Amino acid sequence: MKLNYIKTAMTVILLLQVTACTDILDKDPVSSFSASGFYKTTADAQAGVYGIYDAAQSVFRLNFCYWGEGRADNVQTAQTGESLTLLSNNLNNTASSADWTALYTMVSRANYAIRYIPDVYEDDNATGRQLLGQARALRALAYFYLVRVWGDVPFITEPYTSIEQDIFISRTDKETVLDLVEEDLEYAAENCVDKFNSNNDRIMFTKGSANALLTHVYMWRHKYPEAVTTSDLVLENPLYSLVGIADWGKMFSASYSKESIFEVGYNDTETNGLRTLYAVGSYAIYTPSEKWKASIEEGDLREDFVYDTIPVDPKAIWKYLGRGESDEVSTPAKQNIILIRLADIMLLRAEALNKIGGAANKDEALSLLNTIRTRAGLTPFDAEADAIAMYGDLESAILHERSVELCFEGHRWFDLVRTGKAISTMGPINGLSNEANLVWPIHQNALNKNPNLVQNSFYQ
Amino acid sequence: MKKRQLNVLFHQEIRWKKPVLLTGFMIMISALMIFSAEASSSLGFQQRTVTGKVTDATTGEALPGVTIVIKGTTTGVASDLDGSFTIDVPSGSTILQFTSVGYASQEITVGSRSVIDVALQSDVTMIEELVVIGYGFKKKRDLTGSISSISASNIEDTPVKDVLSALQGRAPGVVVTANSGAPGAGITVRVRGYSSLNSGNDPLYVLDGVPLESNTLSSLNGYDMHGLNPLADINPGDIESIEVLKDAASTAIYGSRAANGVVLITTKRGKEGKAKVSLNYFSGVSEITRHLGVLNAQQWRQIILDTYKNLDRYNNATTPTEPHWTAVDSLNPMNNGDVDWQSVMYRKAWQHQVDLGVQGGNEAARYAFSTSYLDQDGIFLASNYKRITSRLNTDFKVSDRVTIGQNVSFTNGRNNRINAGGTGNLSLVQSILVRPPVYSLTYPDGSPINYFNGKRNPVGMAEECTHLNVTNRIIGNQYLEYNILENLMFRTSVSIDFISMKEDEFYPTTVDYRAGYNWGAVRARTNMTWANENYLTYNTSVGDGHDLGAMAGFSMQNWKMETTGLDGLYFASDNVRTLNGAGTISNQAVNRTDEHSMMSFFGRLSYNYKGRYLAEVNLRADGSSRFGAENRFGYFPSASAAWRFSDESFADGLGFLTDGKIRVSIGQTGNEAIPNYVSGGEFAIGTNYLTNSGAAPTVMPNQGLRWEVTTQYNLGIDLAMFNNRVNFVGDFYIKNTSDLLFAVPIPETTGFGYITRNIGDISNKGMEFALNTHNINREFQWSSSFNIGFNRNKVVDLPDEVLTNGYIQNGTYHILMEGQPIGTFYGWKFLGVYSRDEDNVNQVRFGSATGQPFIGGDPIWDDVNNDNVINDEDKQIIGDAQPLFAGGFGNDFSYKNFGLNIFLQFCYGNDIYSHLNNMRNWVFAYNNVSTDALNRWREQGDVTDYPAPVRNDPKRNEYLRVSDRWVEDGSYMRLKNVTFSYTVPKSITDRAGISRVRAYVTGENLLTFTHYTGYDPEVNSYSGLQVGVDEGAYPQSRTVVFGLNVEF
Repeated sequence: MKLNYIKTAMTVILLLQVTACTDILDKDPVSSFSASGFYKTTADAQAGVYGIYDAAQSVFRLNFCYWGEGRADNVQTAQTGESLTLLSNNLNNTASSADWTALYTMVSRANYAIRYIPDVYEDDNATGRQLLGQARALRALAYFYLVRVWGDVPFITEPYTSIEQDIFISRTDKETVLDLVEEDLEYAAENCVDKFNSNNDRIMFTKGSANALLTHVYMWRHKYPEAVTTSDLVLENPLYSLVGIADWGKMFSASYSKESIFEVGYNDTETNGLRTLYAVGSYAIYTPSEKWKASIEEGDLREDFVYDTIPVDPKAIWKYLGRGESDEVSTPAKQNIILIRLADIMLLRAEALNKIGGAANKDEALSLLNTIRTRAGLTPFDAEADAIAMYGDLESAILHERSVELCFEGHRWFDLVRTGKAISTMGPINGLSNEANLVWPIHQNALNKNPNLVQNSFYQ
Repeated sequence: MKKRQLNVLFHQEIRWKKPVLLTGFMIMISALMIFSAEASSSLGFQQRTVTGKVTDATTGEALPGVTIVIKGTTTGVASDLDGSFTIDVPSGSTILQFTSVGYASQEITVGSRSVIDVALQSDVTMIEELVVIGYGFKKKRDLTGSISSISASNIEDTPVKDVLSALQGRAPGVVVTANSGAPGAGITVRVRGYSSLNSGNDPLYVLDGVPLESNTLSSLNGYDMHGLNPLADINPGDIESIEVLKDAASTAIYGSRAANGVVLITTKRGKEGKAKVSLNYFSGVSEITRHLGVLNAQQWRQIILDTYKNLDRYNNATTPTEPHWTAVDSLNPMNNGDVDWQSVMYRKAWQHQVDLGVQGGNEAARYAFSTSYLDQDGIFLASNYKRITSRLNTDFKVSDRVTIGQNVSFTNGRNNRINAGGTGNLSLVQSILVRPPVYSLTYPDGSPINYFNGKRNPVGMAEECTHLNVTNRIIGNQYLEYNILENLMFRTSVSIDFISMKEDEFYPTTVDYRAGYNWGAVRARTNMTWANENYLTYNTSVGDGHDLGAMAGFSMQNWKMETTGLDGLYFASDNVRTLNGAGTISNQAVNRTDEHSMMSFFGRLSYNYKGRYLAEVNLRADGSSRFGAENRFGYFPSASAAWRFSDESFADGLGFLTDGKIRVSIGQTGNEAIPNYVSGGEFAIGTNYLTNSGAAPTVMPNQGLRWEVTTQYNLGIDLAMFNNRVNFVGDFYIKNTSDLLFAVPIPETTGFGYITRNIGDISNKGMEFALNTHNINREFQWSSSFNIGFNRNKVVDLPDEVLTNGYIQNGTYHILMEGQPIGTFYGWKFLGVYSRDEDNVNQVRFGSATGQPFIGGDPIWDDVNNDNVINDEDKQIIGDAQPLFAGGFGNDFSYKNFGLNIFLQFCYGNDIYSHLNNMRNWVFAYNNVSTDALNRWREQGDVTDYPAPVRNDPKRNEYLRVSDRWVEDGSYMRLKNVTFSYTVPKSITDRAGISRVRAYVTGENLLTFTHYTGYDPEVNSYSGLQVGVDEGAYPQSRTVVFGLNVEF
């Protein structure tokens, strides 16, 4: 009798255990996805691609400037940190701009998207292809910066999904990497949308922006005929046209202009360091260099938009935050960071045509250059001779135009390296003298974590 | 309550029953003491009847359930509810024995008397005390593990405001540190040191059998890292006892969550008898314990000018640099103040608490009801904490075999906080110390200056911003106990812990520099934990004196947490602070659900031979959803034994020895405190691109993850001497943790910074002693309690792949290194100040071989590798935040109706990294500094240990340079509590129908002996492994309280 009670109790308990066993311990995330639970729906595929752009926001928030301007002659600094390290060519392996973490986060997210989006869109359809195109363009953008900043880099094209995969990857030759960059961008130029019919045209990859980035890659690799081809596609693209000089400043302060080809979007809460870099009244990281200010031609209408010309030091750079902005506190900025715009591609095209040579090409090059000069209120060069008279040769005239038109937009250092003028330009300023010094060192943290990485020779 | 438990559970005739066969994993164990009062029929002597009443000698209250036995026989009765008894005794010289747990037994010769009233003295020792253990109770004398017990008497008569601070200094080996002095602030509790690197080091808290949610109650918005006290929601007046389970024998029954010890909290339950009403009130005032010296306006202007002068010296400038602002212009109306901001911001703060309790019941139903209200102002302007608690505990005896009951408590807490945590402009404690003294409070027209020169006015911040945390919490537990057989009991319970927490923040336009810019945020979180626990307890005796016990059970538990929140900008008005008033809902919308569950089987077997030889085994199997499918279940065994050598014949010669016992134990426990979803990897939502929702892989999967395992060995001794007037408990332990869950850094090229793996070993070794003595036990009584715990913590093994330069950087100030304890500070060593430029004989340089050489006025840094360059390679170990020992010393005096209780608490050998002092001695921008700067280096030849302040600090002399200049000895001894009380004599109160009136005055934190130069050495700005850092926490206060206890 009493034993029955026990049996009943035991049975109840055992039943509880058995029924509970089956599922109580299987808890998948509710507000996120397990690694194997994502990329199941088309919405997942879209969100995965936005996740790559999110990584791009982190990449460029400060580093577009450290990488593209920090080591070049357009800026000067009164600060002692990263900016002085770069400008005085005193780079070491703890510099923050030598850290590639954010770029590889971007690569990793892109690799996930590129690997799994095809699984979502089993039948090969246009939506899937355009998402894949954006993901590949973003991966290309990341690797293009990686190669330009560090040279040979670890080359990873598959996502990490298991601890069994090799995580200690050594460096791959930069040309191999750039081959994939071209391949990715060619795919994007073919499969991305023509346009989104919204502001997204400026902040997400379209056929046009893929071609524009490809133009940059070809120019870096000195593939001038290819650059002429792709830049032509950009110039013909109805999405893009030059803004008038009255709106020139608004391109940067208001963003989303018709001249813009690809900019990284920011807003009130997803912010960047433009204010800290350029516009914190008395102690911005960078101010325009004396050399650069002196290089501006008389009557250049752009000058007033770019910096505080009222003769008091320090002169804040107003280009992004807008004229008259002088905030003493380094709060984050919300303006987009333009990576590529039409004037940029027009000048690259002019450079390519000039390199190929021939009268027709030179004429077109001159005409492209004059379009930009005229907009700035400068007198056009009637003939190549005028340009030669003023700047020594047409290429130098174009490069000068780039340094004024695209000032502080993160192009100058790469222009100098690409055209082989980095040492001759920076040598007198900071003693830069060694080709091997043109790349950044690999950050000590990365070397510590990966025994298979070898430091760039100059920094060994 | 302890008496009640005896009555209900054990004071029964229990006879041997045939063993019951139990199957499968269910290994039955138990450790319940049985009172065997075998009644045998009386013999045919001539009988007569004796009656009487048994009372408590101290309180005069009737004592029910006292066993009265005729000596030399087994004939006996028990006293009834009124303490009355009737017993038939044979004629002749009969002796009656009166025994009751917690009281010294008495023998009385009947003689010719027919009425015998007896007053029992409560036993001076607590050795007969029942102790709460995991899933049961045990007589303290039969313990085989290491458990510290704190009873209500330590808590209830003093104005303790929270449960955890009641633990401080009371239990050896338990180090309790208030993270800050803010009302309701977080408290760090470490039992036998740190046993985990990446996972939690907090003990498991169990309230009346309900495992409490305690890990996640940090500030929702993340500015204040001190966290909130998870047990602040429990009224200390409700506490009957707190048990801290320390060794594996005691904790293993809680398996995977027990590696850091288990704190069992038991609340008061009703007792049979007429309703007892108690009313407690206290009111007190607090003030800051210390005032830190800051420069006045004139001294400040001088040091600002010095910083420019020194920078010019660095740069060999020919024309002197002028300060940018009018800051040093004493005639400028914005800059002509002379304010010590501490005197503006700190205040005398009042606190009040009132408690009402009603307890009572009869044989069928018992109840304990209580409610309390606390209103506590913080010493910092505008901070306040209000708490309402209410509790009802009931027990119903449904039948002879079935008892049901419930414990339900509700708490509403409103914590009006100030932002005292972290660094920067928003942290008030730090910002008032560095705020220039010259800033005016008001404009010339009298309106307040809330924002000026990049600095927010702290008065405006405290008074105009909102930082309100409201918590509602229900902890409930319903149980059913079924005595299937007389010695076989089944208990099942269902419990919930429901927390609803909401935090509102608002920063009005008046404290911002941007016109019309205000912002607000709201965060809400609900935590719902439910648990179901079922277990069977079986006790039996075999043969002569062999007692066996068994317990086996099964439990399930589930945690679910939902967080919701929004941030808003550009509110139309500063007066409408809810988010519907926001012009822009910024993108920081939060809505997240996390879930985690666990399923466990557990059991215990115990054996006891006449209390002389004791043994126990425990086993728990825990399955957790946090671990990979292959490693889902962990098994946690323990075994222990004890030998009461005082019962052996050889101990007869040791007359002074009342009781002596040696205990040994070994066992394993675990730690599953890692994030919920790391084993399966995670794609996080919220990686948005502007308004487009994005998702991204954020956690790399590791399906092989498993528990951390802690193996602990314990050797203990319990001694009672001189008729229980001296009690000593000593324990030695070794605690090794392996398979540490650790986020191992991996190359960023993977796209992930870390992967969580099981690596490394940590050990803790230590000893603990507690000594309780009754020094004088007459009309004047004096008793003392002393306890001390020594712990040595060491990181034993870390795999090479996680080390950088031989260590792991742990936050800004600490490293983890093999052979060193957790809490090791690492930085540069300060040797003094160069008196003259030429004193830098070796031309030691800053940063690199081409860096600037140090000159007169610069600090002399220890150049460890002698390369004449001061850089990262010259860092070294500069301190250790863990104490060598900590403990407490209490003395209770009583004479007639007066009582005096003095409690000292101490902590020795720990270092504090005072980031606050760093900030206070670094002229960053126009910050004010401490008066130590008056000794600064001013010109060539000055001999001082205070470097010259330099604007912008190009050589990082002070700027965030982690150095031993800021490491200080954090040892202290504190007069924690002094209470003087007077109980109105019973003869007076009885006439008024009141059973007890007691009035007291308590001083808390009256004196602190320490070399620490900050506000208070009891500080812990980060709740994790970054132990012993003072970032400028809300200071501790000194409090004087007057209180009144009344019982009807």
